[in-house]
Amino acid sequence: MRPDLANDVLRLTGEHLVLVASSMAAAILLGVPAGILLTRRAGLRKWLLGFANVAQTIPSLALFGFLIPIPLIGGIGPRTVIVSLALYALLPIVRNTFVGIAGVDAAVCESAVAMGMSDGQLLRQVQLPLAAQTIFAGIRIATVTTIGTATIGAAIGGGGLGVFIFRGIASVDSAQILAGAVPAAVLALLADGGFGWIERRLSPA
Amino acid sequence: MDRTKTVAGLIACLLLCGCSRPDADRAIRVGSKNFTEQVLLGEIVAQHLEHKLHRTVERRLNLGGTLLAHQAILSGEIDLYPEYTGTALTAILKQPPAMDATAVLARVRSEYRRRFRVEWLDPLGIDNSFAMVVRGPEARRRGLASLSDAARVADGWTLGAGYEFEQRPDGLAALENTYHLRFVSTPRSMDLGLLYQALEHGQVDMIAANATDGVLAKLDVKVLADDRHAFPPYQVSIAVREDTLRRIPGLRAVLLDLSGRFTNSKMQALNYEVDGEHRPAAEVAAEFLKEQGM
Amino acid sequence: MPLVEFRDVGYRIAGRDILAHVSFTLDAGDTLVLLGRSGSGKTTALKMTNGMVFPTSGQVLVEGRATTEWDPIRLKRRIGYVIQEVGLFPHFTVAENIGLVPKLEGWSRPDVERRVNELLEEIGLGSPEFRTRYPRQLSGGQRQRVGVARALAADPALLLFDEPFGALDPITRRELQQQFLALTRDSHKASLFVTHDVREALRLGTRVALLAGGRLETVATPQEFRRASTGQARAFLAGLED
Repeated sequence: MRPDLANDVLRLTGEHLVLVASSMAAAILLGVPAGILLTRRAGLRKWLLGFANVAQTIPSLALFGFLIPIPLIGGIGPRTVIVSLALYALLPIVRNTFVGIAGVDAAVCESAVAMGMSDGQLLRQVQLPLAAQTIFAGIRIATVTTIGTATIGAAIGGGGLGVFIFRGIASVDSAQILAGAVPAAVLALLADGGFGWIERRLSPA
Repeated sequence: MDRTKTVAGLIACLLLCGCSRPDADRAIRVGSKNFTEQVLLGEIVAQHLEHKLHRTVERRLNLGGTLLAHQAILSGEIDLYPEYTGTALTAILKQPPAMDATAVLARVRSEYRRRFRVEWLDPLGIDNSFAMVVRGPEARRRGLASLSDAARVADGWTLGAGYEFEQRPDGLAALENTYHLRFVSTPRSMDLGLLYQALEHGQVDMIAANATDGVLAKLDVKVLADDRHAFPPYQVSIAVREDTLRRIPGLRAVLLDLSGRFTNSKMQALNYEVDGEHRPAAEVAAEFLKEQGM
Repeated sequence: MPLVEFRDVGYRIAGRDILAHVSFTLDAGDTLVLLGRSGSGKTTALKMTNGMVFPTSGQVLVEGRATTEWDPIRLKRRIGYVIQEVGLFPHFTVAENIGLVPKLEGWSRPDVERRVNELLEEIGLGSPEFRTRYPRQLSGGQRQRVGVARALAADPALLLFDEPFGALDPITRRELQQQFLALTRDSHKASLFVTHDVREALRLGTRVALLAGGRLETVATPQEFRRASTGQARAFLAGLED
């Protein structure tokens, strides 16, 4: 690799990981409880899943443009990117949490209730452990996708490996494009492999 | 994700071009890059050719950047597209920027002829160089008219720029070397489409835009004059494959009709019709040709 | 005071009567079998007893108090419950499944341990390798035994059975029925047992209550039931002669 690129690869990969990790943390903290809420409040289902669905279809540049003037979550820089990426990652996480819990054997849930479990006990001791694999699969899909999507963060000063790709395209320099694309692909493969391994270990007995 | 597609598209294009074969009756393929001015120019050229030559024209507009457009014309995926002399000189030919418009055009012409068998026709009349833009009220309050004035501002600037400006020797580097502007932080790099929004909302206070941007005429902003000539000329010409010019008699003459028909303010107005008024590029192009009596 | 009392209980949903005017009592030492065809409302009646469903008219009293007055979780933990699909937790071992309610009730670890071992012994799965198995590693009959043990774990005075042996092969079913009789015969427990199998009803019940179309047609001892003359009862009894 060209020395001028080698200098930046580590820094930009680090930035990229921070973008992905922060947005995934936000998406999980919001998405899993939202998915749980959906199993409890049928009325919210259409509304919340609809929102997550629509959020995923907003083109990223349009979303960035919309977020620039908004204080606290917008502006130019990583914050806007993290907010957008978290929004994009929401759908698979919310959906898989909901589907995972709703898919737990009805007889198992019924007997848990009949045993005198409270709703919280039912959730923590029965539904979440049995849905863990499905929920985790959603997180895995969202993470792998986000690693790729995060390259768009460079469009709004968010840094990350997308900087190489944007620079490379702007200056007709394919070595630079590859310096961004290859590490991003490697990260995605590593994340997929690592998460897959954890997912298999979560398989309910 | 768009960029991933671009890369994928690039690879697909490189694969495809090996198999395509020029053919006398084939449609003329008009290309352009993926921003408003290019799409408009592409559309104008395409409609003009349809009217005058009565041939099928295939539009391959919105190619993702200089690299893709260049690869496409080399491989014959497109026959022609509008390009900027400054871009060709520095980005494609990898030569140092130069200031004299005539000399730059001459060098680009001869290099393209020799290396790529692509001809540069006479310029259209547009010089779309970088334009450093600040908010209007600020310019008036501080009495800023030129970049030399801006260099005297003591508390420094926050610059917003596209990646092209940041990367190119005739962009940010030229600006810094010529004017020694004080910057508060490293430039905020972002997509061109977001620059004006970032300026308007105070996220940055100077942006590196393009001289023919449609919104320049409409927003309360000030273009600072490049009084010490930091930026090289970016004249627009149509670049055409030589074999296409040979294959289609009359093509050269019809394309030359367009040379000198434009000015920067005309282009600004056309861009605004699309960007500001949200009208289809094809409609704006047709109107322009009619107005020019073509 | 009866352990359970249904007082003119009705359950009406979407304009349809699932249960209407159902009244009966259940005392310690009793096994009342609710016999009926599918859709007769017998499972609904069962679920009313531990407060999983509440009547839309009338009252269900447990230990003299209406189910609507009970703390719903306290009520359920006082009552053992066994269903046909067993509903064992697939991610819990046999021992964890059985010890669930005592653990929820805050028993000490050694107490839970002792109780689990006692019950495993009682249901004939005493050998130690069963403790750490998961439900999927058991046969259908073994699973259902564990289900029964789980219901018995906190030593409830009242047990509910919802067609618990319906999905088992005839030999296993017979074994489990024997075991059921052994468990209930000399204790002070009361059981409410739902089935559509008249043979099972007559074998296990101290009384048989026949539900038809949401109404109680007959409540009788097995001997009396064999002589019953109502339409549904005769139809069920005809099944015995096949």
